[in-house]
Amino acid sequence: MLESLLGNSTIEKILFTLESFDQAYPTGLSKIFNIPVNGIQQQLERLENGSVVVSIMAGRTRLYQFNPRYPFLKELRALIKKAMEFLPEKEIQIYYKRRTRPRKKGKPYEV
Amino acid sequence: MKFDWQNMEIKEISALVSSHLQKNGIEVVLVGGGCVSIYSDNQYMSNGIDFITFSPIKKITPVLEELGFKNLKGRLFENPNCKFLLDFPAPPVSIGDKPVSRFNNINTNFGNICLLTLEDCIKDRLAAYFFWNDQQSLDQAILVAKRNKINFSEIKKWAKIQGELEKYNIFLKKYNEESF
Repeated sequence: MLESLLGNSTIEKILFTLESFDQAYPTGLSKIFNIPVNGIQQQLERLENGSVVVSIMAGRTRLYQFNPRYPFLKELRALIKKAMEFLPEKEIQIYYKRRTRPRKKGKPYEV
Repeated sequence: MKFDWQNMEIKEISALVSSHLQKNGIEVVLVGGGCVSIYSDNQYMSNGIDFITFSPIKKITPVLEELGFKNLKGRLFENPNCKFLLDFPAPPVSIGDKPVSRFNNINTNFGNICLLTLEDCIKDRLAAYFFWNDQQSLDQAILVAKRNKINFSEIKKWAKIQGELEKYNIFLKKYNEESF
């Protein structure tokens, strides 16, 4: 939907994910969208170079989130939110409404 | 020309780099920790120097190579003899979602530096404290405030707009309590 504006669909997926879950990490995004992790990292780097996202280390994982100091963040998020309203419900359920509540270690995740 | 990069202070390097870029038609503004170092007389020592410019990295790279800085990756530049990394965060210069159009200028023997004003430097640090609860940024804001004459009402007004008066009051309380 915003592909032509953002340059590619990977960036769109990353931004939709950040809008839905506030944070994301490369291997997680790679598994969810079945995109090579290198491709994800490249796009995250591009967004970080543009100050759109920032990253922090959590253990050995680099977590990405929107940069609260990005001057156009409010407008960007409004655009992303608007675009997400046009996503097919199935896609929203699969990618952008995943379980985020805690799950005890050892208990299987229901799909 | 050879420079004693090892023994140059952040203010001198910032001035030298700024002036060299400016001579080549590249306007830059010093932001971030470098401003804190300058305004705190190096009581806080940043390990990077952040400049914001609208010029593309492709244009900056050959100019900085003349000073011995190589483009590492993305927007970072390194000179093996210099202890500071140069970074060029994406423009524009902003504090939160507001553009910054008023800057300070400092003249040194190495040239001129265009940088954030004292108040904007403090706001920039406080923004990191507001967003991420970063205590180091809070300390840096206090450090700059302690060592300079500050317009507190401007900062308070901004903090109020940000909805962060509570944290501004913590800043003020610590400013009054702590000796730096």
